[in-house]
Amino acid sequence: MARRARILRYFTYALLAGAALFLGYALHLDLRVQDEFEGRRFALPARIYARPLEIHAGLRIAPGDVEDELRELGYRVGGKDSESGWFAKNGNELDVAVRPFMFWDGAQPARRFKITFDAGAVTSLRAEGREIPLARLEPLHIGGIYPAGNEDRVLVRLSDVPKHFVDELVATEDRKFFSHLGFDVRAMGRAAWSVVRAGRTQGGSTITQQLVKNFFLTPERTLKRKFNELIMAVLLEMHYGKDEILETYLNEIYLGQDRDRAIHGVGLASQFYFGKEVQQLTVAESATLVALVKGPGIYDPRRFPQRALDRRNLVLRETRELGSISPEQFMSARAAPLGVVPKPLVGTSPFPAFLQLVHRQLRRDYDEKDLRSEGLRIFTSLDPRVQGAAERALAKRLAQYEKEKRFGPPGLEGAVVVSDPQSGEVQAVVGSRNARYRGYNRALDAARPVGSLLKPAIYLTALSEPSRYTLITPVDDGPFVWKSRGAPDWKPENYDKKFHGQVPLRVALAQSYNAATARLGTDIGLEKVLATVKKLGIDRELRPYASTLLGAAEMSPFEVAQMYQTIASGGFRSPLRAIREVTTQEGRPLQRYALNVEQAFAAEPIYLITAAMQGVVREGTGQGLRNFLAPELAAAGKTGTTDDQRDAWFAGFTGDRLAIVWIGYDDNRAARLSGAAAALPIWGDLMAAVAPEPLQLAKPERIEEVWIDPQSNLRGDSGCPGAVELPFMQGSAPAERAPCATAVGGAVDAVDNTVKKAKSWLERIFGR
Amino acid sequence: MRYAILVLALAGCASQTPAPVSTPGPEPAPPPVVQAPAPVPSTPGVPPVLRPAARESTAIASLMDSARADAGGGRLSNAAATLERALRIEPRNPRLWSELARVRFQQRDYTQAESTALRSESWAGKDNLLRADNWRLIAAARDARGDTDGARTAREAAQRFEK
Repeated sequence: MARRARILRYFTYALLAGAALFLGYALHLDLRVQDEFEGRRFALPARIYARPLEIHAGLRIAPGDVEDELRELGYRVGGKDSESGWFAKNGNELDVAVRPFMFWDGAQPARRFKITFDAGAVTSLRAEGREIPLARLEPLHIGGIYPAGNEDRVLVRLSDVPKHFVDELVATEDRKFFSHLGFDVRAMGRAAWSVVRAGRTQGGSTITQQLVKNFFLTPERTLKRKFNELIMAVLLEMHYGKDEILETYLNEIYLGQDRDRAIHGVGLASQFYFGKEVQQLTVAESATLVALVKGPGIYDPRRFPQRALDRRNLVLRETRELGSISPEQFMSARAAPLGVVPKPLVGTSPFPAFLQLVHRQLRRDYDEKDLRSEGLRIFTSLDPRVQGAAERALAKRLAQYEKEKRFGPPGLEGAVVVSDPQSGEVQAVVGSRNARYRGYNRALDAARPVGSLLKPAIYLTALSEPSRYTLITPVDDGPFVWKSRGAPDWKPENYDKKFHGQVPLRVALAQSYNAATARLGTDIGLEKVLATVKKLGIDRELRPYASTLLGAAEMSPFEVAQMYQTIASGGFRSPLRAIREVTTQEGRPLQRYALNVEQAFAAEPIYLITAAMQGVVREGTGQGLRNFLAPELAAAGKTGTTDDQRDAWFAGFTGDRLAIVWIGYDDNRAARLSGAAAALPIWGDLMAAVAPEPLQLAKPERIEEVWIDPQSNLRGDSGCPGAVELPFMQGSAPAERAPCATAVGGAVDAVDNTVKKAKSWLERIFGR
Repeated sequence: MRYAILVLALAGCASQTPAPVSTPGPEPAPPPVVQAPAPVPSTPGVPPVLRPAARESTAIASLMDSARADAGGGRLSNAAATLERALRIEPRNPRLWSELARVRFQQRDYTQAESTALRSESWAGKDNLLRADNWRLIAAARDARGDTDGARTAREAAQRFEK
């Protein structure tokens, strides 16, 4: 070391003697080198993960879905006992060797388990022959928040990198690396000569020079840059050891491109090309990566397998020539296939709309700079299966609509938001029919009139006063005029351009009658309705106009999801969350976004409005869903259509999913859209694809179910044709019995007993 | 003063060995049933409810066990995370919501303790033991927030379910 430093000093002195100017220049470069290299920390993007798939006996999932998830994680089919990151299928059994992963709550080691399936569900989960309660797959990496240039990397230590990797790199790129002073005179000479002679440039840079070039210099190929590169390489070698230089090089080197994401460093490249950690790279795989150093585009093993194979074998030959690998190693490596895994669907993210939501929620708590450089790990609630189903449902239907020219000219757009109704976790966000498009995010940013989607808020307000309103209270759907000073009269019409006279409240909602709703809303009072909307979770101030009642109010699909979330979770408001946890790069927990609930409404009116929304699907404007979902699922929902049929909405929920679908034109043009015809099929496709659970409501104590004769709206029983069982707040159901009721005596108990025998769909579902 | 009592009550709670939810070996010693002590009206506190619940699935039972171990060891954030993990599997399990409410209480988030216990209430059905636990917890949470009247109402509700 000392000898080398002395030589270097003499070398520097010699240059000094040559030109005083040069001294200043070299000092300037030296400061720069030390400054930047010393304080050099690679900017690491925040890494964003989907939810991990939790496997346990009883989980409803098809084996194919687990296999898909494993494939997306880059798992191979079949593998050795000593390795992880593979799975094997034997009949109805899946054998999985999971890779180690650092979860928010600690490290999970590599482990092996067997999943047995039957009839679309997991029946048993075993590890080492014993039943285990739970197993987590590692979560899918779904994107990041990247530093400038969208550089992505996973840092590795030199000690993690296999020796054969370094041998191959040195053999191919810089044979004298461990002995030179930062440059290789002969290689330099060759490069200079080729410029002078043929005007062509040629390699010949040492590893140190390559690092300097990537770190400090612009990519232009001039003699001046070559000169700077040389000086700086020497300076770098003066200050730092070979190991430090090599380690930095291995983390810096550019090795590929994943759409707009740049793959840097051998750590990430191992995952990107081979789905494994750098420690596990074989001699052949390492050689494929070393081959990429010369040109990641030209030698891309996925796009140009033959070229990549030839170059890999060249790397292997050069390494054998130096004696770093044995002839046997050479022979078996050369015989090995390239073995790259299929390209993961990432880029900077395959789910830009969801990522945008995550990014916005993160920005409340973190600096943008930290997000782009600190390598934070962000665990989200995205469910890739649900996201995929939502994307496909939207894209497929919009393409079909355009082909059939049913609703208007081409250019129809849409958005979908899906959440877990119990926890408020967002499972999917689609911001455009082209889900990979990272532009205008309609799910979050398109504020559109919500039309009839606001109606449940009006009916909920009414049902909160059980002494005035029940599900069968008659409301007047006659012509309605609202006069207010300074504004033209407001005369809402119904979708079918007819008026329907006195109708029960639940029918007015199920059929989405505008005149009845406008009358109901103004009877209760606009202020009360707006207070309900606020309590449902809408922060936006709605204008206190009567037209707001019929959905002139504008909201984004995400806001609508928040509003329906509060209803779906039994009146408990939980802010919609996309993030579960944040840890440092090493896995130290930084922050947890806890499940917070707040009771915004009493259980009873929520139960009633939900029953009414189930009526929408069962017999109202949402009954088209019967073409998609079994009636036993008892989904609750609401259609929405706006003036001049510019927007189509469907909002609703099952037991385990809440989804909002919006479609319309970006320029807000008049069309022929309607919630039932245009948005509902997308909602139906989406739900059918994710096999939802039935909507089971927790019945509050003060709710009683009473059979009602639809003709008289009085207490009925099995003797009344079309009798329906409806929930009532205790004491609010009619006392009088309908003429058709056959039970003798009139005691309510007797009615209940008679009715119980007639198995209704409600009974079948709720098991009462 | 009230807080001092609460802290003591919590300390007592934390030092209790959690009763395992799952039964481990083939020859199980009957899991220790920690009965909630009879409430002393003048000292509001969280009853250490660690009743073993035989009806949980093994996945839920194992998560409950680890949440209890975490809560017992003061790793409250981990305990809450584990319970939320369990709730993603069984969102309608009132015992999970109740445990989560208890952890929120230990985290001194009394507002969340109450509303999470109410969430448990909505799924509790006829499980009167659980409902009594929930209302005692709500009473303690209200006391901690200085809502004495509300606490009294909650205690009355708890007593109704104890019968």
